[in-house]
Amino acid sequence: MPMSLFKRSPWILHYDGSSCNGCDIEVLACLTPLYDVERFGVVNTGNPKHADILLVTGSVNERNIEIIQNLYRQMPDPKVVVAVGACACSGGIFARAYNIQGGIDQVVPVDVYVPGCAARPESIIDGVVSGIAALEQKRKRSA
Amino acid sequence: MKRTVVPMGPQHPVLPEPIVLDLVLEDEKVVDAIPTIGYIHRGLEALVERVEYTEFGYVVERICGICSFMHGMGYAVAMEEIMAVEVPERARWLRLIWAEMSRIHSHLLWLGLGADAFGFENLFMHCWRTREEVLDIFEKTTGGRIIFSVNRIGGVRRDISDTELAAIVEKLQQLGAGFAATARIFETDPSIRHRLSGVGILSREDAHAVDAVGPMARASGIRMDTRLTGTHLYDRLDFEPVLETAGDCLARVVVRVREISQSIDLIRQAVDRMPKAEGAPIEVKVRGLPTGEVFERLEQPRGEVIYYIKANGTKYLERFRARTPTFANIPAMIKLVKGCDLADVPNIIMTIDPCISCTER
Amino acid sequence: MDKDAFLARVDRYHRDGWRLAIINTTSILPAEGMDGGAFDISWSFASDQLIEHVRERVLPGEEVPSISTSFGAAFLYENEMRELFGVNVTGMALDLKGQLYQTSTIVPFAPSAIRARLDALGRGDPAPKHEAGAKKA
Ligand code: SF4
Repeated sequence: MPMSLFKRSPWILHYDGSSCNGCDIEVLACLTPLYDVERFGVVNTGNPKHADILLVTGSVNERNIEIIQNLYRQMPDPKVVVAVGACACSGGIFARAYNIQGGIDQVVPVDVYVPGCAARPESIIDGVVSGIAALEQKRKRSA
Repeated sequence: MKRTVVPMGPQHPVLPEPIVLDLVLEDEKVVDAIPTIGYIHRGLEALVERVEYTEFGYVVERICGICSFMHGMGYAVAMEEIMAVEVPERARWLRLIWAEMSRIHSHLLWLGLGADAFGFENLFMHCWRTREEVLDIFEKTTGGRIIFSVNRIGGVRRDISDTELAAIVEKLQQLGAGFAATARIFETDPSIRHRLSGVGILSREDAHAVDAVGPMARASGIRMDTRLTGTHLYDRLDFEPVLETAGDCLARVVVRVREISQSIDLIRQAVDRMPKAEGAPIEVKVRGLPTGEVFERLEQPRGEVIYYIKANGTKYLERFRARTPTFANIPAMIKLVKGCDLADVPNIIMTIDPCISCTER
Repeated sequence: MDKDAFLARVDRYHRDGWRLAIINTTSILPAEGMDGGAFDISWSFASDQLIEHVRERVLPGEEVPSISTSFGAAFLYENEMRELFGVNVTGMALDLKGQLYQTSTIVPFAPSAIRARLDALGRGDPAPKHEAGAKKA
């Protein structure tokens, strides 16, 4: 879907699971001048009640589970989850560490998987765009 | 007086990463702070049981996405020491150059986050825009922006041509000149001064008593820097650590601002002094199984990191331990938070430059 | 371990103005005559460019005195030792009561825990094979 066809401004909530920080920083980099996703109306919010898209970096460990579920539960419908980076998709390099349960889809339903270790800003933006498409579909279905 | 406990975190606007501080308050004053971590604890040190030593470097790099080069380098250097490997000189110079570039990008990253935390978003954008230029050099020379995988036991994987090195120096010097205006804002802007000057003072004695490291210690006037040991070719450069004496939040900002230009200069010196030996070997083949143990120290952007490795003659290491600078600085952070105003807590936490994924591993 | 001698040594570093660089624990797997395994603990102190290590071998359950009254940063390492390894550290200046990491497995780095994980991987004792490199300390 071309960006010009966005009907609404998607608001994003970012949560950092057990990541190495790498993907996390790339998500932040998306907000800064070189990539600047805000020009598409994408807003980074800290409040789950305002968010349409939950962007998660890093894998889940036991302590994260509840927090991610809480954030997800508080988001209004329709909502979309984007897993950014190998860790969030499957646990990545840490999948076999004793304290890691696996990817984000162990805890909440994931709509878009963004590969990469670290995921590049271009692919993160691409993931968000796919997330918006998924959001539109859900909206139509529930309408 | 009534005591209130305010839990701060794990998801908090100024914190890029999850950590919890239970702040015990009397009115607006913080009287105690109790840390809980564990949200990013992956247990990666225990992965030595499953990942062979030749590949464990990839795991070590992913301790933290900011210092990933330095972590990769630390692991490689430590293993080389255990296995008594003589690394080609060119590889060692290249490592030094990449390491200093890591410091530049890390400090820019932090200055941006710091600016955002004390409410100066514009400055955040400026710092991160400048940082992208450093990442461009990384991408050109290693192929990655965040995770480089360019270190291996016995050397590095990629060479940088001599013309490219000269171009990098020039580019960094331009970057430094361009950054000077932003640096001036950090050092002189009245509103920044207002928020940071005199806040969170760590005296020289206290810094020593809580075993602070890195810019945190240097901002309190302690001349401490692992680069002074002269290992990793630093003995071939003219180097004197940046010191400040005020020990407050502003001093910690200023130390990092100055270290950016210092690192640019160190890279210039390195390129000047390294032999023009393009095409010279950059790695040696390493065979056999390691036996022995080693403590290895490096100066990361956040301070001294210590690796401990014990190898027992099998493919798998017996123990790998990384004591990262943030881990060493948490006692200092707790010390500073006690007795300050609640509203200053975010700035104080930010100015230690916390890297939680390093701390928890 | 000889607690008094140990504390006296630590105290000397403290008086001479050294700083605590790292406390590291390595689990020693259970073996003949050491059913529960052991811990090799090293306390490293730094002063300017020097670094020195004090090392002790302790058995599970054996009391290890905290040095957090002399070295302010020690409490973090010591809480970690207790929570991840199960070392019996006593007298910590700030006792986090096992709330620091809250890992999903208890004492994941204890000798028995490592043994169990290695067994699950089907790996017996990591027997030393041919050696390479010099031993460094
Ligand atoms: S996918 Fe790679 S870069 Fe991203 S958080 Fe995981 S280890 Fe770090």
